Amino acid sequence: MSDDSNNINLTIDGQQVSVPRGTTVLEAARSIRIDIPTFCWHPKLKPAGSCRICYVEIEKARTLMVSCATDVAPDMVVHTASEKVLQGRKAVLEFMLMNHPLDCPTCDKGGECDLQNLTFKHGVDDSRFDFKKYRHIRDKNSTFDDLRIGSEIIRNQNRCILCYKCVRANKDIFGEQDLGAYQRGNITEINTPPGEQVDSLYSGNLVEICPVGALTNTDWRYKIRVWNTQTVDSVCSYCADGCNLTLWKDKQKIYRATSRRNDNIDEGWICDVGRYGYQVPMAEDRLTTPLIKKGDSQVPATWEEALGLISEKFKKIKDERGGVCIGGLISPNLDSLSLHTFSKFFRMVLNSNNVDFRAGYKMLPEKADDLYSKLTSLPFKISDIEKSDLILVLDSDLTKEHPIVNLRVRKAVTQKNASLFALNPITTQTGGIATDEMVYNIGTLHALLNGLCISLIDQNLTQYENARDLKNKLSPNTIEEASRISGIDVARINSLAKAITEVKNISLIAGELLTSSINREQLSGAIINLCLLAGIFDKGQVGVLSQAANSKGAEKLAVMPHLSERSILKIKQIWDKYPDNDGLALDQMIRSSIKEELDSMFIIGSNLMLEYPDGAVVKEGLEKLDFLVVADICETETTQIADVVLPLSTWVEYDSSFVNLESVEQKFKAAIKPVGFSLPAYQIINKIAQGFKTPLFETIDELIPEIKTLLQPDDSQNSFENCAIEYIEEKQNPEFEIPLLITNELHHFGYFTEKSNSLSNFCSEAFLEISPGLAEKLDVKNGSIIRVESEVGKINLPVKISEYIDNDVVRAYRNFSASPVNILQMRKRNIDRVKLTVVEGT
Amino acid sequence: MFDFVKTVLIALPKGFYTTFKHLFKKPVTLQYPKEKMPMAPRYRGLHYLEKYEDGSERCVCCGLCASACPADAIYMEPAENEKGERYSEVYEINLLRCIYCGFCEEACPEEAIFLGHEYEFSNDSRDAFIYTKGQMLANRPTKEKPFKKIIRKVRRIF
Ligand code: SF4
Ligand code: SF4
Ligand code: SF4
Ligand code: SF4
Ligand code: FES
Repeated sequence: MSDDSNNINLTIDGQQVSVPRGTTVLEAARSIRIDIPTFCWHPKLKPAGSCRICYVEIEKARTLMVSCATDVAPDMVVHTASEKVLQGRKAVLEFMLMNHPLDCPTCDKGGECDLQNLTFKHGVDDSRFDFKKYRHIRDKNSTFDDLRIGSEIIRNQNRCILCYKCVRANKDIFGEQDLGAYQRGNITEINTPPGEQVDSLYSGNLVEICPVGALTNTDWRYKIRVWNTQTVDSVCSYCADGCNLTLWKDKQKIYRATSRRNDNIDEGWICDVGRYGYQVPMAEDRLTTPLIKKGDSQVPATWEEALGLISEKFKKIKDERGGVCIGGLISPNLDSLSLHTFSKFFRMVLNSNNVDFRAGYKMLPEKADDLYSKLTSLPFKISDIEKSDLILVLDSDLTKEHPIVNLRVRKAVTQKNASLFALNPITTQTGGIATDEMVYNIGTLHALLNGLCISLIDQNLTQYENARDLKNKLSPNTIEEASRISGIDVARINSLAKAITEVKNISLIAGELLTSSINREQLSGAIINLCLLAGIFDKGQVGVLSQAANSKGAEKLAVMPHLSERSILKIKQIWDKYPDNDGLALDQMIRSSIKEELDSMFIIGSNLMLEYPDGAVVKEGLEKLDFLVVADICETETTQIADVVLPLSTWVEYDSSFVNLESVEQKFKAAIKPVGFSLPAYQIINKIAQGFKTPLFETIDELIPEIKTLLQPDDSQNSFENCAIEYIEEKQNPEFEIPLLITNELHHFGYFTEKSNSLSNFCSEAFLEISPGLAEKLDVKNGSIIRVESEVGKINLPVKISEYIDNDVVRAYRNFSASPVNILQMRKRNIDRVKLTVVEGT
Repeated sequence: MFDFVKTVLIALPKGFYTTFKHLFKKPVTLQYPKEKMPMAPRYRGLHYLEKYEDGSERCVCCGLCASACPADAIYMEPAENEKGERYSEVYEINLLRCIYCGFCEEACPEEAIFLGHEYEFSNDSRDAFIYTKGQMLANRPTKEKPFKKIIRKVRRIF
């Protein structure tokens, strides 16, 4: 090994070890399974050396050294368990316990506390400290010193050992400024600046990394002892990042979720939606039995009755009018088994291609093998983001859509010196660390991308041979025109073009606004043009990120009406047949239903009434159906109008898998038994298929190879050609002129997050975000009620003045059942526009 | 001959003497249940829960007694009171499972649970042997249990 100049040889406790230069003594020791205790060290944080428990003895060094902050040196001789080291550790512990309260019986960390364990191990059983302990007092009248520093975080300063892990992670990893250490010496405390709270999307992680019980969160607080719980490996079911979770459960109850570190994806951090999302399955009002509509009300029924009715109706429709008169919609938050069985049921049993999973999208271009699906099939790795020198984020508020991708981007920028360019219609949190955040006029991204392409061509920065030819296909085709339309200076576009060509590795990330846009083909084409001109396909990765936990899985498992040749081949290979009719996408289903061409719909796990971006149309469509079957976990606006409601199990109640945005399939395990009489979706579907005398599987093992085949990456290379891109201004009604953006709320992406108490504590009602300028113009303040009116609907919302909006856009949030903002939307409109009137008396 | 002397003439009168002697002694039996025997200080009878002087419960629902219990007889559910303190919302001992080993009182860091001197708790329903927190608090004797001192002493040594 010595021939490798980058490796260093040293001896630890008599064992020879060779590690790369720059490794710390601690890491070197752990690499050969010698354990050194730590408090302030964390694998993803820079060493701080503040707790000093990791003392080791290094020969020739004068004193004991902190191993977490000492780099290895050639021929070092380290002792990790000598008499001197043990004494040192004991002394450190004694100092820590000097002011530490005897709280173990009431402390929630008890049983998994590093301080408790080490004290026990090193036998520090007596105190030589004869003075009164210093006590941080919250207020004089209280015997308890707990202080709430965030919606879900409680701090007990007496227990804090000042390792500063929480402060460092909050600042360095999450980029938040809302936690700091105040005062000095004995009275140092970890606190928020006056009047603030730790309410970032990542706040739960601070509790998780605290080595003692100084920070605890309300969901776990005083609920159960850690030794009475069992852990289950799970995967988050909300966004497409696919963080790995550990669920802590006892009997039929889950008590908390923590991160199960996976360095390829989450690096040990999870967002609060994932952390508190387990409370959704625990909701009190879960559906527990099937319901059948009788007259005006829905009455509880047995599974036999419900399934019998469904099979009978479906069979009748299939025999009389054909399977194509039944439409299917399944939520992409469901597992792979369910998605696959759903598609199998429609294609094999009903002989129809009417399956879809995209409830929240507007009218999509309905074509297989389009530019968009070409882009999404490109490989993308979250961990590769940090290898890039330049990151280009298009149309995505990363924090709200992909919290963990956001952390990688942040890491690349703050720790690896990558430069970030964000192109968004509004200012975003991620944009705060960008070299340049271009806030373009909403709906003009393809014009802006055209400008960028033209800039590359005009400045001769491209090696692409058909560049001149491409330029003629673009409209607008001058950079000035593009700049005028998008509202971004020519100079900024030019400097971005320069930056793109100067770097070696680029990650291009595009998000929800693009994926669900009517203009998705044009936008994808514009991205392809840019990638061709700048050579991004060769020197980096392009990620058009999917939205929900299993959206990628749904795409791969063919839960779509229009499939590419390749997918059809695969399906024929596994099932020997493929329905030869033309399938309907969701918005076509709804349109057909209005025209009374579609008789029935089978919806699983999707609250279409609230999700579909055209409230009026979807209402009409669903009400015109003869027979509507909805399976869901709780009562929703959609189940209320259904003819049969089936109780659905959540992902913590069975074994299956999710496919994350990198196309990685991740398995998860059941933590509890199905609640009530609920069943996993794949079993419901199979039982219905049994009614047709064609069961889809005997045991789920039969499905595993089928899923595996479908999930296999395509080895055939995609070749890209440049595309003509034309920006056409959307006609507007002059009465409604303020563009409305509808996105996820920070703590509520994913459906039913309202049912989680903790998440509702962060935010429990919908609101309308407006810019300070607009607020002044309308003369409203935070909390004033405003009537938001579009051509098709109106709704009253409280106002929140936001620093993130600095143009005339307003932003509203979906996923709040009390405020269905989708009634403002129109599925044919790219940009929804509204007018605002202040409601009197507020 | 010798045997006759030994059994009838010596042993028999000796036995009669012993019996006769006891006629004049205080009887050792008690007229239970009218009279009761004082228990040894370390006797382990029915459990009770201690309170502080101000009337608040000592038990913080830490769960150590339940983990120490070899019979798995203790069940509890913690909760938070209005002051923000941890307390036991449910605290039950199944007296039929309990083997009266006293591990719970030894484990308790708050000196909250003790095994008292009460032993009369027969009943004809199994459910009545699920002893609840209210019963255990009410059962508290007014006099401090001398065993407490012993526990404290033992704790100081270890
Ligand atoms: S609160 Fe916890 S993580 Fe933060 S400094 Fe104190 S001990 Fe460390
Ligand atoms: S919602 Fe997304 S980022 Fe949050 S824990 Fe789940 S997978 Fe991770
Ligand atoms: S006395 Fe022993 S068996 Fe009975 S509750 Fe206590 S620890 Fe359990
Ligand atoms: S009785 Fe004692 S050991 Fe048992 S839970 Fe209460 S405080 Fe803990
Ligand atoms: S772990 Fe090394 S000083 Fe804290």
